[in-house]
Amino acid sequence: MKIVVGIKQVPQADSVKIDPQTNNLIRSGIQGVINPFDKNAIEAALRLRAQAGGEVILLSMGPDSYVTSLRDGLAMDADQAVLVSSRALGGADTLATGYTLAKAIEAIGDVDLVLLGRQSVDADTGQVGPIVAAYLGLPQVTFAESISLESANTIIAKRQLDTVIQDIKVTTPAVITVRSELNRPRYETPVNIKQSFDKAVTVWSETDLNLDPEQIGQAGSPTKVTSVYAPEKKGRQTTTLPTDPTQAVVELLNKLN
Amino acid sequence: MTVIEDQNRMLIQMVKEFTANELAPLDMEIDQKGDYPAGLFQRVIDNGLLKITLPSQYGGAGFDYTAAADALNKMAIGNASMAVTLEGHFKTIEQFTKYGQPSLNDKYLPSAGHRIFAFSMTEPSGGSNPKGISTRAVKQGDNWVITGDKIMITNGGLAEVYCILSKTEDDQMAVFVVDKDMPGFQFGKREDFIGLRGTPVGEVVLDHVVVPADHLLGKVGQGLEIGDNAHADARVLMGAILAGIIEHELGIAINYSKERKALTTPLYQLQVIQEKIADIAIARQNTRALYQKGAQQKVANQLYAETAAMAKSYGSRAAVRSGDEALQVLGGYGYSREYPVEHLIRDARAMELAEGTIEKMNLEITNAEIAK
Ligand SMILES: Cc1cc2nc3c(=O)[nH]c(=O)nc-3n(C[C@H](O)[C@H](O)[C@H](O)COP(=O)(O)OP(=O)(O)OC[C@H]3O[C@@H](n4cnc5c(N)ncnc54)[C@H](O)[C@@H]3O)c2cc1C
Repeated sequence: MKIVVGIKQVPQADSVKIDPQTNNLIRSGIQGVINPFDKNAIEAALRLRAQAGGEVILLSMGPDSYVTSLRDGLAMDADQAVLVSSRALGGADTLATGYTLAKAIEAIGDVDLVLLGRQSVDADTGQVGPIVAAYLGLPQVTFAESISLESANTIIAKRQLDTVIQDIKVTTPAVITVRSELNRPRYETPVNIKQSFDKAVTVWSETDLNLDPEQIGQAGSPTKVTSVYAPEKKGRQTTTLPTDPTQAVVELLNKLN
Repeated sequence: MTVIEDQNRMLIQMVKEFTANELAPLDMEIDQKGDYPAGLFQRVIDNGLLKITLPSQYGGAGFDYTAAADALNKMAIGNASMAVTLEGHFKTIEQFTKYGQPSLNDKYLPSAGHRIFAFSMTEPSGGSNPKGISTRAVKQGDNWVITGDKIMITNGGLAEVYCILSKTEDDQMAVFVVDKDMPGFQFGKREDFIGLRGTPVGEVVLDHVVVPADHLLGKVGQGLEIGDNAHADARVLMGAILAGIIEHELGIAINYSKERKALTTPLYQLQVIQEKIADIAIARQNTRALYQKGAQQKVANQLYAETAAMAKSYGSRAAVRSGDEALQVLGGYGYSREYPVEHLIRDARAMELAEGTIEKMNLEITNAEIAK
């Protein structure tokens, strides 16, 4: 099974500090780490590899500094990594990112499964996985909290939504985005850390992938952020039902109607 | 960043994560129970932590001593007992790679990724004066037959392979490698020590244990040199562990002094409290500078025994004193077993004794200075 795991580098939560004078983010000293949900995706890929054999390829789009996160994934025991990196890709929104990743997955070729985190913790859109699936024309499952191989080319994924759980059977090739409930990502090990430096990290630019200049970077990004603000808190109302069961049921039914 | 620096950074990050998730939450429990909870040591093995310094040709990661020391420093901030367990293993592996014959290393080192190794000099009659030991190794054909009683061995009982300092028939000192599965090998009692209560420290009794010729580390007559070398290697790592304990003490004192108020003033704003916090921070920094210097000297093939002795001599006393100061910052709570400070003092106190007493180390430091 050839599995591609899309990973993004995000700032390590406890390394983010606010300058008390200016209230701005202090950018120096911020350590980049793998987006936590993407670590679940890597762990899922490694377990599928253990079951079905094959290869786990990490894929990321971003600056050179993202190599440290790809290396972390290799130290978890992934086989190789691909970084799509170039100035022309800067400023990409989810659409341009999804397009670029999809093109890279096509270039990797013969991919059976694409796994991604359900969303990144720094942007929280949850859009990149579905966009990748759309560009590749592949079936997709989002928010998977369990993934099991049913046969060589069918996977059953449990999809956890707010109020329902769906069991979705999907044939490969497919795209699945995962929740943190899926698994507990393994630690890197000292030996795997050393060996991760012997594994290939291939760097591709927009020209290597023949990307359409109109669909990448800022040019390919229709999203315009006008402002960022915390949503207003909606007050929740609580009603206490009478202690008498009959009365309580009547009142409850009235409320629900 | 060079590749080595990058790898070392990743190792430190891995050890920090492992410590935060697996060790730090159990720190109090380990002290109270006087042992590692079931399964914990297996997780240390499963995550490859015994392999940090083991050369790659034996299936290890082959990190150098600066990385190993920094890793144990981070681990000790969360739990000093487990860091000392690894220290005992790492320093013993160093003696194999430096003094072991290829046939011995090929036989034993591949198992050092999942079996703990220990180094034993001390006997019931004393530890500071190894010339007085009574363990004997008698040559019989190609083999050696070893008989003796060894106590206070770090990881004694947990470890499976032991380096044993012995006297030969002609009263020369030599170190032999003994396996727990050999006939005549028996575990004795575990010490009921006041600190580092997770780390097993115990006895092994050898009754005519027969080992082949290649189980001699180095040569007959090199026993004390190997013992000194093992001490120096251990002391660098203990310096790192002590810097970690002081860091833990500092964290407790700082957090408490921010929360606790003298009427309306947070404690850390009081000058008398600031003096204590500053003293602890300086102790942490000095101990760190000493162990890192010792590790760098070792990696650069320079003399490091004196710096290593300084790291442990200074660091152990600084950690005990800093623990006392942190306790004072916490007032009555500091004196309670519900807070971790008191056990950090007990943990640190072990290192004024283990791997050479303060008195012995200071004698060595003085001799080294006089000889300059
Ligand atoms: C936690 C822990 C772990 C240990 N792990 C190991 C281990 O892995 N392997 C091992 O072999 N041992 C180990 N030991 C034992 C330790 O090395 C000895 O306790 C130490 O060497 C002192 O020996 P002793 O206890 O016999 O005290 P003694 O040697 O009897 O010393 C008693 C006192 O006299 C002083 N003294 C004795 N002789 C001299 C001298 N010649 N000059 C100046 N002062 C002197 C000492 O400094 C000390 O203050 C460990 C001890 C502890 C506490």
